[in-house]
Amino acid sequence: MKDLADHLFDVLENSVTSEATEVKVVLGFCNKRFSCKIKDNGRGIKSEDVTDPFVTSRKERKVGLGLPLLKKTAETTDGFLRISKLEGKGTFLEFETDISHIDAKPFGNLAKVFADALRSWPDVDFEVLIEGEKNEDEQVLNTKEIKEVVGCSDIQHKEIHDFVYKSIDKELKRIGINTQFGNF
Amino acid sequence: MKNLEELKQIRDKVKKNLQMRSGKHKVRIVVCMATCGIAAGARQTMNTLADLIEKSDRDDVIITTSGCAGFCEQEPMIQIYTEDNEPVVYGKVDLKAAEEIFEKHILNNQIAEKYLFSKGK
Repeated sequence: MKDLADHLFDVLENSVTSEATEVKVVLGFCNKRFSCKIKDNGRGIKSEDVTDPFVTSRKERKVGLGLPLLKKTAETTDGFLRISKLEGKGTFLEFETDISHIDAKPFGNLAKVFADALRSWPDVDFEVLIEGEKNEDEQVLNTKEIKEVVGCSDIQHKEIHDFVYKSIDKELKRIGINTQFGNF
Repeated sequence: MKNLEELKQIRDKVKKNLQMRSGKHKVRIVVCMATCGIAAGARQTMNTLADLIEKSDRDDVIITTSGCAGFCEQEPMIQIYTEDNEPVVYGKVDLKAAEEIFEKHILNNQIAEKYLFSKGK
């Protein structure tokens, strides 16, 4: 994984693969620490040791590297990765990384992750919020709302992808996340 | 969400677009999008293909994604399904490969041998 954007996209893919229909992401960037919380309503994790590379639910191969790689990315930069099963249905995943750490990975293009997610999984509803330092979290993406405004469930259009990209990118830049290392 | 006004302006454009491509698609490109694909750059491959479709004005081509096909070393991989033909799988589809495959396979209906991984099911 080249950057945090790839990691984030990979975690979203996990949610989709677990048959989630709704995925909620909360991003935060404060004191050089980038945090990400993801909640889905998928079928949930089976075992607690999903960060073990030799544990995977897939059948095509015996290893699963997405979460172990993310764990390493987080932990080598004084961060963490936590995953828990939600009551009833779904998974909650949270990771944090210190972006000023010498081993930190660049952000990559985080806004693009969500535009790509819409393109890849049109049937899944995504909600993205940016954590406020003092104020309330700000919602920067809500596909249900987009579908409502557009008036159809098909939002596979370049114009909409561009709109999503632009509006998220603007808000991410506002809290200091640029496409490289962030503004300190 | 903010900017909903802007979205309303997009709406009309989208509706028109939707009417235009109401016909059935003839070609389906599937991009493998598991950890292995993502790490190898499958997102960029998908976006390149989407741009190529857009530019070519082909409204009968769609892109979808799938999970890991089990040949991680070949990523990014794509499968192309065309009407009446066996599915074709291409491996190591970087941006240059994506352009070549699109030109050859999608636009001219020939196999791009250079990147061919397998044919048929």
